[in-house]
Amino acid sequence: MRNREIVGLAAVATAALIFSFAAPSFGQEPSQNPGALAAKGKGKGKGKQRPPSRPTPHGPDGHVLLGPLPGEGGVWNGNAGATIATNVGRGLDNNLVNLPTNLKIPDVPFQDWARALYDSRQANNTADDPHVRCKSSGGPRLYHTPYGFEIVDIPELERIYIMGVGGPHTWRVVYMDGRERPKDIDPSFHGYSIGHWEGEKLVVETTNYNQRFWLSREGIPHTEYLKLTETFERPEYDTLRYIATIDDPGAYTKPWSGGWAIPWNPNDEMYEYVCQENNRDARHMYRGEQ
Amino acid sequence: MRLRTFAILGVTGVLLAAAPLLAHHSFAAEYDAKKPIELKGTITKVDWMNPHVYFYIDVKDDSGKIANWAFEMGPPRLLERGGWKKSTMKEGDEVIVSGTLAKDGGKHGNARSVTLANTGQKLGGASSEGTIP
Repeated sequence: MRNREIVGLAAVATAALIFSFAAPSFGQEPSQNPGALAAKGKGKGKGKQRPPSRPTPHGPDGHVLLGPLPGEGGVWNGNAGATIATNVGRGLDNNLVNLPTNLKIPDVPFQDWARALYDSRQANNTADDPHVRCKSSGGPRLYHTPYGFEIVDIPELERIYIMGVGGPHTWRVVYMDGRERPKDIDPSFHGYSIGHWEGEKLVVETTNYNQRFWLSREGIPHTEYLKLTETFERPEYDTLRYIATIDDPGAYTKPWSGGWAIPWNPNDEMYEYVCQENNRDARHMYRGEQ
Repeated sequence: MRLRTFAILGVTGVLLAAAPLLAHHSFAAEYDAKKPIELKGTITKVDWMNPHVYFYIDVKDDSGKIANWAFEMGPPRLLERGGWKKSTMKEGDEVIVSGTLAKDGGKHGNARSVTLANTGQKLGGASSEGTIP
């Protein structure tokens, strides 16, 4: 097993090297929505106009590039202050991006126990968030963790790796090789993800999640019955349109969706941030007089 | 050198580079935004590590009793963007800390800014105060 891991890592590194030399083949087709997509919301940020974005970048295989162009830096910012269900007032209710959100909490189809758990987590100011204990953050929680994330598509391996900064050195893998979903997989923080392209859109379906993380920073619960469908689109260079559809008959009465327009930060890159290094926050979380 | 506890009168002045930043935990779960604090003390230890930098100061109260306080700041990366270096403050340095008290009642707070007493340099603490969970 150890040798397989080493071989696997070597393959990733080799493929990444090959990928990095493929710059001349990369192209940027004209964007249908150039300009300030994320700046026209009704909430925070209203009235701010950022410079026009470059168009959506594409790789040699024609698929949308979800990372930086070769030779460039940058990282997806991560909407750490956002919530997955209720984006109103946070500059993300942008009809140009057309997120299926702007729900009020009463609109989320919680089962009673799930709503009670959500309310409890909110009442405690999210003090019990597993992320604060440096547990890995699965599903949407990964994308609104501070300090950003990167999506690394390696077509030669038919895999996409998604790596986050602000956690316990977190990464997840999306298999793009058309495989069948294996049976009898143990539940895990990032589940088992199989993806495919639908035109300009990356679609990822994931099952086999454990319950040891929160689905979002504000405390949206889930169960091991969760089937998460995520879509990743890049309508322009500077914006990632992320939508998560939560189909969890263990916690909700019907599927529902939330998402974000995640901005690109061209001035930063991934860096080492190991949450476990000196995490003192868990012991300081306050839940009132005990 | 005599140190003294400053009156807790609220955060004053504009704190350079102290704009709210995002942390990996809820600010409100740990600190009471209604309890600002300002203390002057001597650095006893600096943990320049993720997920948050911690530093410790000895503070002498008006009766002469010394207590050791812990203060949290943002992660090293964010502090470095705000002008900090790992060596900016070290054991023995005298500092003035403006921040927010912890809810648990301990000698612990979140630093919004730190002023180095020997130079007057004031740096933001990359506090996450003001952000939602």
